[in-house]
Amino acid sequence: MSTEFDAIVVGSGITGGWAAKELTEKGLKVLMVERGRMIEHGSGYVTETLAPWEMPFRGEGDAALYARDFAVQSKNRHFTEFTQNHFVNDRDNPYSVAEGTEFNWWRGYQLGGRSLTWGRQSYRMSDYDFGANKKDGHGSDWPIRYADLAPWYDHVERFIGVSGQAEGVASLPDGVYQPPMALNVLERYAKGIIEQRWPDRRLTIGRTANLTQEKEGRSACQYRSICARGCSYGAYFSTQSSTLPAAQKTGNLTLVTDTVVERVDYDARTRRATGVSVLNVKTGERRRHTARIVFLNAGAFNTNHVLLRSRSDAFPAGLGNSSGLLGTHIMDHATTVGAVALFDRFQDRTTYGNRPTGIVIPRFRNLDRQEGDFLRGYSFQGGALRSTWTRAKREAGVGMDFKAAMRGPGGWRMVLVSFAESLPRPTNRLTLDPVKTDALGAPLLKIDFTHGENERKALADAGREASAMLTAAGGKVVLSLDRPGVGGSAIHEMGGAMMGDDPRASVTNRWNQLHDVPNVFVSDGAAMASSACQNPSLTYMALTARACDAAVRLLREAKI
Amino acid sequence: MDQGKRDARGTGRRQFLMTMAAAGAALTPTTLWAQVKAGADASAVKALAPSQRALLDRVADLTIPDSDTPGALAVGVPAFVTLALAHGLEGAGAPVPAARFTGGAAPDGATVLDWLTFELDLKTGGAFLSAAPAAQMRALTALDSAAYASGGPPGGDASPWRLLKGLIVTGYYTSEAGASQELQYDLVPGHWDPDVPVGPHARAWSNDWTAVDFG
Repeated sequence: MSTEFDAIVVGSGITGGWAAKELTEKGLKVLMVERGRMIEHGSGYVTETLAPWEMPFRGEGDAALYARDFAVQSKNRHFTEFTQNHFVNDRDNPYSVAEGTEFNWWRGYQLGGRSLTWGRQSYRMSDYDFGANKKDGHGSDWPIRYADLAPWYDHVERFIGVSGQAEGVASLPDGVYQPPMALNVLERYAKGIIEQRWPDRRLTIGRTANLTQEKEGRSACQYRSICARGCSYGAYFSTQSSTLPAAQKTGNLTLVTDTVVERVDYDARTRRATGVSVLNVKTGERRRHTARIVFLNAGAFNTNHVLLRSRSDAFPAGLGNSSGLLGTHIMDHATTVGAVALFDRFQDRTTYGNRPTGIVIPRFRNLDRQEGDFLRGYSFQGGALRSTWTRAKREAGVGMDFKAAMRGPGGWRMVLVSFAESLPRPTNRLTLDPVKTDALGAPLLKIDFTHGENERKALADAGREASAMLTAAGGKVVLSLDRPGVGGSAIHEMGGAMMGDDPRASVTNRWNQLHDVPNVFVSDGAAMASSACQNPSLTYMALTARACDAAVRLLREAKI
Repeated sequence: MDQGKRDARGTGRRQFLMTMAAAGAALTPTTLWAQVKAGADASAVKALAPSQRALLDRVADLTIPDSDTPGALAVGVPAFVTLALAHGLEGAGAPVPAARFTGGAAPDGATVLDWLTFELDLKTGGAFLSAAPAAQMRALTALDSAAYASGGPPGGDASPWRLLKGLIVTGYYTSEAGASQELQYDLVPGHWDPDVPVGPHARAWSNDWTAVDFG
């Protein structure tokens, strides 16, 4: 059958960009469909170089506007007047949540998606993670192990550029790194104390997709730490800085923006997807595109939404949902502030520049022996810094002395934020809302998610350990929390189309194909069978590159 | 949210308060609010009344005065605070509950500037704006010390002064002079040094976004 394209990639974010790059470089004619607007690299980053005094609300933004149009997005720490154009308008993009639950679904509908605003932390999962579901029985056993993905982690890291330090820690496998950004003077001191007191723990610089060396036309980091505005230096990995130019260079890419995929089209006779039905949100025009394979990279929850909406006689509960498990076992990370401590040391020392990454203390709990009353583990991210003028809001004083006291750098503090693994549970799930619809009449995505007792116990342990470590390093702990934030708060929402070998117990197979429809690949966060406790984007990228390789092989062998 | 309606009620109280203060009446919470309750101005005025503009100017100037760099009044902080109040930045749109007023009484929908007028007049023992600079500074210092005293006032919520002072310092240190003369501003540091000495005349970096997030 002749098709318009060889492949259609739905979404242009972190994994969509990767799918487009890999498939076009392997010679496929690819259509990449982005629902949001065009943002050109460089010229599209309209607030990048503005100073606070050049912004109407000094960077804080218009709270009245946010209450009306960005009620959810504005709760995000990275959402500011400088970055608001990289987040969705909540009023125009509603979703529903189950009664009695909350979920912060933080999104960016634009070319590049959340690759523009992501935290850039790039960690490998280990066999502790890939073996976790099998070991304790939660969720579906991963059909792959670390050895299957390791070469693809290499492949991805080499291309995107990750700066970091190899440490030989089993729970956080080392990768291919550019030189690390340095720990600051207090972090280096704390590292010494913590590692001496707890030999099984390691404090290392965050492994971040910010370049410390120039790479293929992309500059090294300028230490502004304003990445989420967009970086015209191309110093962090985004679709615009990295995968899109690579895909475009092949001449094999067709890109459309302002075009939302309403469904994946399915031919019951051939048992294959035939392409996608799309709506141009600017013109209102609807049309179909055909291809031999479809890659769903819409972002974990939107990929679920597209599949759930792709109902047919053959798949009345959503495409690829013969198991009835589509939308189930969704996860995030349970996160909160483990501890904040003030330090008297190093008052005569400070730093220069704004490092766009913090530190990480990899998981040390429940690795080779069970400790404590919870399954799996947690890790910490954070760092040490001297505060600046914002402390003036919190400190007493007015007048000349106050002004003088606020002029210099503030005291040192160190923060450890806890990230606990989210167990995959069938009751945490996505469905189509039976009643509520969007402006076009399509059913809203309904999110039913709560953190469980295991996550609460893990965070309680994390709070105690964070406090103990900062206290040992000479800090005075002023805050330690152990309750998880609202679901979605880690912005690591994932799952719903979990991988597994058993078609009755999972939605996608070891090559990220839908068990039911082998020419549809799900390689964003939707395919995750467990969450681990580290930032997941690098794993999504590696899974995507691996799935693209498999897809092209299967096409050549005429198996799909 | 009905911003216009709340402002309209506030205007009536403001005028009343300033009239009382100017008259040098014996200002106790009880006598003030007993008379405030007698009536409110229904006219819808969104801009600040001249008396409240004058109060904001004076308080901004006292909080961050001119030194070898311009102060809060000189860099236009009152205009920012006015904008911030109108748009509800940092929760500024919410009415101040009666419990936050000394004496525990206030009409519904009192604004933070109503509160500030009332408390400063009370502390000055007359019209704050007519008082001598030293008396104004004493009143504001007393208000500030109470707002930041450990434990805070009963009832949990922080003093409205924390909100107002937060807006004043935000307006100041995000102004061009506040950010780049009083402090240092460099959008493109270009390199990272993890350990440098703090000099005797060191100025903090206003573009340290990391410290703005976590500082």
